[in-house]
Amino acid sequence: MKNLGEIKDLNQRLHFFSAINDSAKDAARFSVKDNICVKGFEARAGSKILSGYVPPFDATCVERMAKKGYNFIGKTVMDEFGFGSFGVNTDVQARNPFDEKRVAGGSSSGAAVATAVLKDHIAISESTGGSISNPASFCGVVGFTPTYGTVSRYGLIDYANSLDKIGLMARSSEEIRKAFDIIRGADRYDTTCTENGITDSKKKKLVVIDQLMHGIDDGILASFEALLAKLEGMGYKVERTSLDFIDKAIPAYYIISMAEASTNLAKYTGYKYGRQLDAFTKKYNEFFTEAREVFGMEAKRRIVLGTFVRSASVKERYYTKALKVRALLANKLSELMKDAFVISPTMPIMAPKIDEAAELPPLQAYAMDSLTIPPNLTGLPHVSFPYDYLKGMPVGAQLVTTHFNDYALLDFVGKWEKSFDYKFKYNL
Amino acid sequence: MEDAEFDRLLKICRLRLSSSERTAIKSDVKEILKYFDTIEKVDTGSLKPAYHPVAIEGRLREDRVEPFDHSDLLLKGTKTHRFYVVGPDV
Repeated sequence: MKNLGEIKDLNQRLHFFSAINDSAKDAARFSVKDNICVKGFEARAGSKILSGYVPPFDATCVERMAKKGYNFIGKTVMDEFGFGSFGVNTDVQARNPFDEKRVAGGSSSGAAVATAVLKDHIAISESTGGSISNPASFCGVVGFTPTYGTVSRYGLIDYANSLDKIGLMARSSEEIRKAFDIIRGADRYDTTCTENGITDSKKKKLVVIDQLMHGIDDGILASFEALLAKLEGMGYKVERTSLDFIDKAIPAYYIISMAEASTNLAKYTGYKYGRQLDAFTKKYNEFFTEAREVFGMEAKRRIVLGTFVRSASVKERYYTKALKVRALLANKLSELMKDAFVISPTMPIMAPKIDEAAELPPLQAYAMDSLTIPPNLTGLPHVSFPYDYLKGMPVGAQLVTTHFNDYALLDFVGKWEKSFDYKFKYNL
Repeated sequence: MEDAEFDRLLKICRLRLSSSERTAIKSDVKEILKYFDTIEKVDTGSLKPAYHPVAIEGRLREDRVEPFDHSDLLLKGTKTHRFYVVGPDV
């Protein structure tokens, strides 16, 4: 790569890559979030417990991109196992290229920064509760989260299996569509991955859900209303509606995701892969407990809560009830979107400063996912696209559609891109 | 959550917390569970739990033995003895 030195220099400041492929070529570059396996490159998922783990295989999405001639450029940093909305729950925090004192979002923080600073590049990232939309919005790029099950999760270091979705970030919807067609489709190594056809059922109606508009920053709200007016000018009809219990998507999501995460993290035992202990004379439970000491604070919090909500005495009250709330909201949203897209700002706030984000109490941090969780909980495809710049920082809107109607989202953003120029501070 | 119950939970989790972690997480757990309790109010009627957000066909691979030539790669980075992973006492 001709500008490898420049990329490395910028990475020293913005911390978006955890590893760079020195032999990558210049064109058709793709990066991979650190929780997705690339043969021969350490995969830590942002965690110390996986230090030293070098996968001996490529994830299916990586293998498919490489077969089509895309060049792997590097692994992108992230919150530990995806546990975070600001990229601060890890040892190296990515910085927002528009203001380096601010967060890049999370958990796919590095993927969003890489997309914002590199041209001819696409980022393979992953979302569980908003980890693509959120950083895409804060960094001013397009972030696409496909319908659950359309992209194989083989080679993904799992956070919550029923919620994890591999998706993409790029500087245009066209680049995303090309890559999506490469990575999607059935895979014999992931039995939850479907071959379902993807549709392009265009909608001329945009629905704004009243309850989702509560608690949004005034500047973002005003800017979003201006976006709706522009979209009306482009021929879309905007309607406002109420959707009962949509606010319960957040607790339902956190119950399910913590329950699944607490079981998934049990495989890091300190001797099979990643962090290696050599205290083999200790009994298993003591050994296992010692291995887990390096988990970060958020991971420990989620293990405790996830283990609790799965306990026999409270499982019905929390875990099973949350699964029923997911069924209810999936039905309600699908009904609402029969002839419409749902639209909202992507994030309720502007990208906060790194030190402020790190100090947020957990419940306040979880509340920041209020707009991205509903489609993630219900496996609905969604896309975040930049639509304004406030005080020099990008702002994104999020569009949601029905299961497997993914192309319609990219078609919508493609039309938007004809009337709006995205801004980038770097073009390496 | 009482101290005894919290300690039992930590034991099940195989987690040993520092004093500051313990204070913070115990307080967080209390607040977060109160928030989780708000889903009780949602009338979910006779809906079945959605274990996946999308209907999954559950296609399984044929159950047959396939040759695998890369066991050395799987064992790389672990302590081994005669092709076995070395672990702690059980």
